[in-house]
Amino acid sequence: MSIEIYIHTSQVELTDGLEVVEVDGKTVSECLDHLIEHFPGMEKGLFKKKGELHPFVEIYINLETVYPDELNKPVKDGDKIHIILMLAGG
Amino acid sequence: MLTRGEHERYNRQIIIKEIGEEGQERLKSAKVLIAGVGGLGSPVAINLAAAGVGVIRLVDHDRVDLSNLNRQVLHWNEDIGRKKVDSALEKLRKLNPDIKIKAIGETIDDSNVSQIVDDSDLIVDAMDNLAARYLLNKCAIEKNIPFFHGAVRGFEGRVMTVIPGETACLRCMYRGPVPAEIFPVIGVAPAVIGAIQATEVIKFIVGSGYLLTNRLLVYDGLKLKFTEFKLKKNPDCDL
Repeated sequence: MSIEIYIHTSQVELTDGLEVVEVDGKTVSECLDHLIEHFPGMEKGLFKKKGELHPFVEIYINLETVYPDELNKPVKDGDKIHIILMLAGG
Repeated sequence: MLTRGEHERYNRQIIIKEIGEEGQERLKSAKVLIAGVGGLGSPVAINLAAAGVGVIRLVDHDRVDLSNLNRQVLHWNEDIGRKKVDSALEKLRKLNPDIKIKAIGETIDDSNVSQIVDDSDLIVDAMDNLAARYLLNKCAIEKNIPFFHGAVRGFEGRVMTVIPGETACLRCMYRGPVPAEIFPVIGVAPAVIGAIQATEVIKFIVGSGYLLTNRLLVYDGLKLKFTEFKLKKNPDCDL
């Protein structure tokens, strides 16, 4: 299993500058856990608390919304997970 | 009917086959509310006024501050301290004296949002905070008014268009309250996003092209890259 996670521009400093990270996992949650194993700083960047994403974090699989309950969504080999951040400025 | 002067003013867009004289007349008849006359609202208002949208209502409670001038291109140094809606109205009237522009210098809240939105055909969300955006989105859905969302931060921006009852709305994506911040931004980001919002408004009014409905367009100015994400109505959305 190889899943690509696309890191938001503002968070690449948490992944040693990597914009795309390959991970393993059967669900979004497992993939994010794997990401955090390699880059522990991402935990604070993504999660408000254990199992709960920050409200400004959005997850897409293969460029499609998987909200709500995105952490439990299944992924398969070759899938691409995009992490993007909600914007509010005008 | 377009006047001779309007024919001349809008000639370069009337000769676009997707607009034509009929599209120009539709633009002239349209009433658009622009909520927020800052970084996003400036390019939206300039482009819609220039394109000949017949009635533009500007809403903003704020006054022009020196720190606004890196991005809010309707406001100039001489406007510091003035109400943004007055500053904007003056410039837009000089740009296009043929259209009607109304300035509403109020804070949008629960008590007045319905009245402010009333009698508008379209709402452009150019606000600078999520609370007001959700309030406007809710009012747009309740009153069945198309809603054109844009937001920016840093070099980044996002745009989506909401057709009430048919397509995903802001609330469909709601994940809980997000703390307000003094957001970093450079003027080119709202310039890009505001121009796209205005493009969507014009397309909707003239009935041409494909709208950004059920699509979230994300712009990364640092990579100069647009990415499109597919959205769908959230069955749990409370609107």
